[in-house]
Amino acid sequence: MTDLAALAAEHGLSRVGVRPPLREYLRQTWQRRHFMISLAAARAYARNQSGGYLGQLWAVITPSLWACVYLLVFGVVLKTNRGIDNYTGFLVIGVFLFHFSTASISNGSKAISLNQDLIGSLQFPRAMLPLATVTAELFTLMPALLVLIVVVISSGEPLRPVWLLLPLAVGLQWVFGMGIAMVLARLVSQFRDFGRLVPFVLRALMYTSGVFFSLNHYVKDGAAADILKHQPIAIYLELGRSCLLTEVPVSLSSWLWGIGWAFGLLAVGFVFFWRAEETYARG
Amino acid sequence: MADDYDDHDDHDEPAEGPGIRPDAGSRVGKPSLIVDDVHIHYRTFGGRRLKGQSWNQRLRRHVGAVDVVKAVQGVSFVAHHGESIGIIGHNGSGKSTLLRGIAGALPVTQGAIWADGTASLLGVNAALMRDLSGERNIVLGGLALGLTPAQVRERYDDIVDLAGIGEFIDLPMRAYSSGMGARLRFAISTSSQPDILMIDEALATGDVEFKQRSQDRIDDIVEHAGTMILVSHSMSMVRNMCDRVLWLDRGRLVADGPTADVLDEYSAKTGRPTARPTKRKRVQVDDADEDQPVSRRRQQEQAAREEAAREEAAREEAARAESAKAEQAG
Repeated sequence: MTDLAALAAEHGLSRVGVRPPLREYLRQTWQRRHFMISLAAARAYARNQSGGYLGQLWAVITPSLWACVYLLVFGVVLKTNRGIDNYTGFLVIGVFLFHFSTASISNGSKAISLNQDLIGSLQFPRAMLPLATVTAELFTLMPALLVLIVVVISSGEPLRPVWLLLPLAVGLQWVFGMGIAMVLARLVSQFRDFGRLVPFVLRALMYTSGVFFSLNHYVKDGAAADILKHQPIAIYLELGRSCLLTEVPVSLSSWLWGIGWAFGLLAVGFVFFWRAEETYARG
Repeated sequence: MADDYDDHDDHDEPAEGPGIRPDAGSRVGKPSLIVDDVHIHYRTFGGRRLKGQSWNQRLRRHVGAVDVVKAVQGVSFVAHHGESIGIIGHNGSGKSTLLRGIAGALPVTQGAIWADGTASLLGVNAALMRDLSGERNIVLGGLALGLTPAQVRERYDDIVDLAGIGEFIDLPMRAYSSGMGARLRFAISTSSQPDILMIDEALATGDVEFKQRSQDRIDDIVEHAGTMILVSHSMSMVRNMCDRVLWLDRGRLVADGPTADVLDEYSAKTGRPTARPTKRKRVQVDDADEDQPVSRRRQQEQAAREEAAREEAAREEAARAESAKAEQAG
């Protein structure tokens, strides 16, 4: 111990810039939750604020336009609706929820590398950044969910009590997104090149998650089918559809998979992210 | 308050040296910050410093272009409660990096830093958003500094008063003049009453009236047994506000002592007591005779500060453009 270290100990000063123990880190993160939510809300809001005269109306207009485009391309032109009764509802739920996850993953992976100025000037648990990024996507999704419900009702689906499970399904998807964002944010901050691979993975997921066609219709049985149907994005799309569409049955095993993916990844992601806490500045 | 600074030489403070403010001696107490042989290195992407011209060396300019900058190399000092410390040195001498290390924003490569309470950099800047109103930015900035929502509500009116931007509080910060933006940032940053307040340049913002109020706020923080650390290129500002000066050069501590002594040494070594010799006006201010009428010195200092504020605004603009570019690219 140096003389200065002894002096610090004598006067009870605490060490700056070292990684706190996991429990303490968890406590700090919880303590700063208001900042996380406020940051997320501000980002979701600012996204539409420079959108001209229509301002926040774009929060609703943007998803509506996306719904129109996808319905036109896949429903009218390509007709990938084999084996689905209510294709409008199926497609719109798939596109909106899938977009929520891809935006969470791609923006979440850049949560550290794009926020270097914030990291360099303020002290807070860095896990706030991937968490806030994914939460901002959740706030962006909320107006889209309203559009979604209007579309599903107008496509002829009856209102059922099971609709009340939708917030839970979206909540699990949000938790899953935060977990994966923490894993990717650390990887990308340490190996920037890794960030280049993310778009390719997302594109592969788009074609293997049953976004605009029914996985059940195209892949039957075997190991490949099992993997495709149990990968997290496919699970969350199925959960969302089972809440709103009569033709997709609610299954307990899917819910258990959804819960497992969400909290498993959140725990793994949090610990994995925490272990490199002190390295994020100027990574 | 102005008199505090001008008559310090008349007081006899043999133990602390002539640079100490007259009332500082009584307030300097137990250590608030200990910096022990600190080294800070960081990686940069996208470029390397290369010596040779072999094909291998030239290739490394494009692939694996990652380099390590050793910004701070073995700095040690102890700061006490109630002390105000200035850090001077040329551009790239590691001043800002050291400050960020103390704030816990940059990891220390070697050595250790201890602090009593919270060390906060006057840099809430990065947390604020240009597209949001001043009102929302106050809430966001306050939370970013670690205040609770209740504390933010409680201090909201104080912040608005100090910033003095009136009805502009409802407009997006994009619409603010650079002086207004800087005032709001200052007001938010200092609302958290940190134990150790660190200021990186650009305290110099806005009109005379605001300068007075911001000075009061800083005095208030130092008064509450806090410690203030100021990084500045303006020697007059350092002379006015600091009891003690650290001089950094290429990441190493060259001198540490009472303000007047270190500034004299600095001016002897560098020829002029300024980091940017082309700035004639500032040189004049720094060399200003102590016997000059107080009002004139004040005026010159004001001019120098305004100039620094303009430079800061330009720097910010450039940084903003850069981050916007990065966002587009991503």
